[in-house]
Amino acid sequence: MKKFNSLPAVTTFLSATFLSTALVSAADLNIIIEEVPDYEIIKKLTEEYEAANPDVTVTFDAMPFDAMRDKILTSSLAPSATYDVIIIDNPWMEEFAKAGYLAPLDDYIASSDGYDFDDFVGAVSSIGVVDGKTYGVPYYNYALGLIVRQDIFDKEGLEIPTTIEDYMETVKSLTTDDMFGAAMQPQKGYKIMEEWKNWLYANGGDVFDTDGNIIINNEAAVKALNQYIETYKSAAPANSLNWGFDEALRAVSSGTAATMLSYNWMLPALNAEGGMSGDLAGNFTLHEVPGGKAVLGTWSWGVPANAEDKDAAWDFVSWISSPEVAKRRAIMGGAPVRTSVLNDETVWKDGYGEAYYKALSGILEDAAPLTSGTNAEELIEIIGTELSAAVSEQKSPQEALDDAAAAVKRANR
Amino acid sequence: MQLKHRFVLPLALVLSAVMLYPVAFSAWISLHDYRLTRLNDVRWVGLDNYTFIATDPGFLNAMGNTITFVIGAVTLELILGLGLAILLQRLVRFQNFIRSTLLAPMFITPIAVGLMFRFLLNSELGVISHYLGEIGISIDWFGPQLALFSIILIDVWQWTPFMVLMFLAGLESLPKAPFEAARIDGASAWLTFRSVTLPMLRPVITVAIIIRALDAFKVFEYVFAITRGGPGDATETIMYYIYQAGFRFFRMGEAAAAAFLLIVVILVLVIALVKATKSNTEAPNDV
Amino acid sequence: MFSFSTRPARIAAFFAIVLALVVVLFPFVWVFLESIKPPSLGGRPDVWVFPPTGDNWNNVLFQSDVPSNILNSFFVAFATVAIALLVGCPAAYAFSRFRGYHGARYSILAAEMMPPAILILPFFLVLYHLQMIDSLAGVIAAHLSFVVPVVTWFMIGFFDEVPRDLEHQAMVDGYTRFQAFYKVILPAVRPGIGAAGVFGFVLSWNDLFYALLLTGGESRTLPVAIAGYWTFRGVDMGKMAVAILIAVIPVLILSFFIQKHLVRGIGGGAVKY
Repeated sequence: MKKFNSLPAVTTFLSATFLSTALVSAADLNIIIEEVPDYEIIKKLTEEYEAANPDVTVTFDAMPFDAMRDKILTSSLAPSATYDVIIIDNPWMEEFAKAGYLAPLDDYIASSDGYDFDDFVGAVSSIGVVDGKTYGVPYYNYALGLIVRQDIFDKEGLEIPTTIEDYMETVKSLTTDDMFGAAMQPQKGYKIMEEWKNWLYANGGDVFDTDGNIIINNEAAVKALNQYIETYKSAAPANSLNWGFDEALRAVSSGTAATMLSYNWMLPALNAEGGMSGDLAGNFTLHEVPGGKAVLGTWSWGVPANAEDKDAAWDFVSWISSPEVAKRRAIMGGAPVRTSVLNDETVWKDGYGEAYYKALSGILEDAAPLTSGTNAEELIEIIGTELSAAVSEQKSPQEALDDAAAAVKRANR
Repeated sequence: MQLKHRFVLPLALVLSAVMLYPVAFSAWISLHDYRLTRLNDVRWVGLDNYTFIATDPGFLNAMGNTITFVIGAVTLELILGLGLAILLQRLVRFQNFIRSTLLAPMFITPIAVGLMFRFLLNSELGVISHYLGEIGISIDWFGPQLALFSIILIDVWQWTPFMVLMFLAGLESLPKAPFEAARIDGASAWLTFRSVTLPMLRPVITVAIIIRALDAFKVFEYVFAITRGGPGDATETIMYYIYQAGFRFFRMGEAAAAAFLLIVVILVLVIALVKATKSNTEAPNDV
Repeated sequence: MFSFSTRPARIAAFFAIVLALVVVLFPFVWVFLESIKPPSLGGRPDVWVFPPTGDNWNNVLFQSDVPSNILNSFFVAFATVAIALLVGCPAAYAFSRFRGYHGARYSILAAEMMPPAILILPFFLVLYHLQMIDSLAGVIAAHLSFVVPVVTWFMIGFFDEVPRDLEHQAMVDGYTRFQAFYKVILPAVRPGIGAAGVFGFVLSWNDLFYALLLTGGESRTLPVAIAGYWTFRGVDMGKMAVAILIAVIPVLILSFFIQKHLVRGIGGGAVKY
């Protein structure tokens, strides 16, 4: 047995040494990625990369959001990574960077000609920077925007609301027997936090102040929560306490609701001919979140610290996020993260039109993530649980936010 | 090695590989401040995780919800399962078709069942709520009052078939003589059921309850697919709590401690159940 | 239709069974309709008549990995059950027949109480060192942890039901104890083996938790694939519906043919404790 086994092993070893000196770039890249519209585009573009680099094979392991965190974690715990390139959601960035899972990319960025890191929208690219080092470069953004049925607004002669009070009034007036003003997502945890935080921003609140003190139960927060609850009661579908993104989207696409606060990149999908909206396609428009400051989400490309061939990994990452490829990705329907792409007239023309990119630029100009810290994921869940308790009237808003503040303190122990 | 040990050896080997090592490892984790993102800084904390978890309101609430869930679901499944099994035993036509149809829900992966009902019961978009609405009934299936109950109903939909299977098997294996005797004595159907069928079925019932309850304690998918534990923490179950602590917040030490506390609770309940049913029967002595 | 003695009882039984059938079948009917619905009707509960589309079926059957996911699931469930029976039967026989194993009957179930969320990490670390991550072997190992105890427990009951005279007679005829077990007792509990096997199969077939973490790419099982239709962008109900249906239909056909044996099997003694 042993004899038979050792012979191929020796030849493999020899040929591997030989090959690695002959062709430096030969590599198999295994990439974990989330199943989102952008992934299809990335997959298509990657074919070109493989054609240009015949010694590199790129394999995507695409999966739903909920599986990603575990998979990245387990890959990072292993002595040698399963994934050579990963994508990182913004609540995880600080946590993964400080756990030592991610390789710093600053030297790579500096040595890549024409990469132009400063071209990324500042709010988006700063998420990848932890303690002065860059661990991630932007993949796509999921900043929230206000999506409305323009035809209804036109018919009723309504202006697009710019303050949260206007918005509340508008959606209330739109609510009739067969139409709801707003489809909301008050589901416990991440969903409600993601939505309510826009109300909180509109009232000038946040989770922590600039000194790191917890201010989640201050006056602004209580007011924001009261407003949120009032909106839910006056303009959202009845009995929708467990709704997440999914139901809200369906309610809007089927004509049951007139507005929602949601990911900006949903707009193209809503307006797609023959898509989910049927006859309503073409009637949706995107605007800045009322109040002006939006919740920002970002996925970043990262290279695991335990990846075997980091050079090859960066080569792919820098190619896919380069200005030139980013522009083509946007034209194919990807969510842009570069200023040059947002302002590119070819992108406007061949993509989704000037208005969309202008609105998106406006959103990204003033947008901030849900929260920061090494346990952002946990804090979001904690606060989101208390918010849900308040909306479902198990606690008063003040009580719920006080409990949230106490729980945040406890989690930071 | 004795013969009887040789029979058991393969099982012992497999179980020590797939159970003993993982459990021992988890026990070790539960005594440490073991965070997956801080593996170079794992500290011995003794029983701290246990005292933290045992006094954590979130854990206690999740434990309460889970016990409510298990009792509610298993009781409903028991009653419905017994009723259906009796009907199916008396069914003389389309037997094969109806029996296998009624067993079908068991074969769908629970996450799909959860997502299915999330949309079926949805207030604006769901078929069930829509037609209930047409006849003037508005039910907030996933509101704070009903959410846990709705999750119970979903479990009942999926797992009553298991009870049916067990009871049908039990009923068909019962001896005919006692029923003949009851008939000759002119006992009513209800009396026959209560004083002949039920006592003879008691062993099956206990087994079915134990297996189903052990499984129900692990309820996770429905909660994950529909409510994520909400509204507030109304449907937070123990498995969801452990999953969150361990795999979303990466606090493995606490998750492991919670798991061992859960085992203690289950053990107490199972022993109580076995004691309660055993004392009422003259257990057939077949060992 | 029913062998009840009074007419009202028969009528009540009829309606009860019809109700049960409706409750069970309605979600399946809805799932089927969902699988042929055009995407724009996803949020309309009141539309029952529409031009059907075969896009979802086409996509799932011919352009997705679902068929191979089903094969994976079958393979995992079969292998798990086979191993579980192989090690579980002799042990269950010993628990049923020999002195000194009384406690084993219950302690075997203790394994069932361990939440998967806590076993998964040790599993992952060990499998990693054995280089078995993303392989079906790893999932099978994990599934053994909850299938073996249940199967063994079921089998104890079946062996209890077999009269002891049977193997005594066999041993008088010159068989060794093991031969008696293998050639005489095992055939006698065949329906029981089937019942325990089917139950173990269902547990493995439905598992998402272990499979999600321990498989990837080619080795994904069906529940993982079904969960994969639940994306950040929403649940792709149409395709998920197809996956559910093609997963359930073979098992339903199977259960149509074996449920008689299944019932007889469990009745053969799973019911002792």
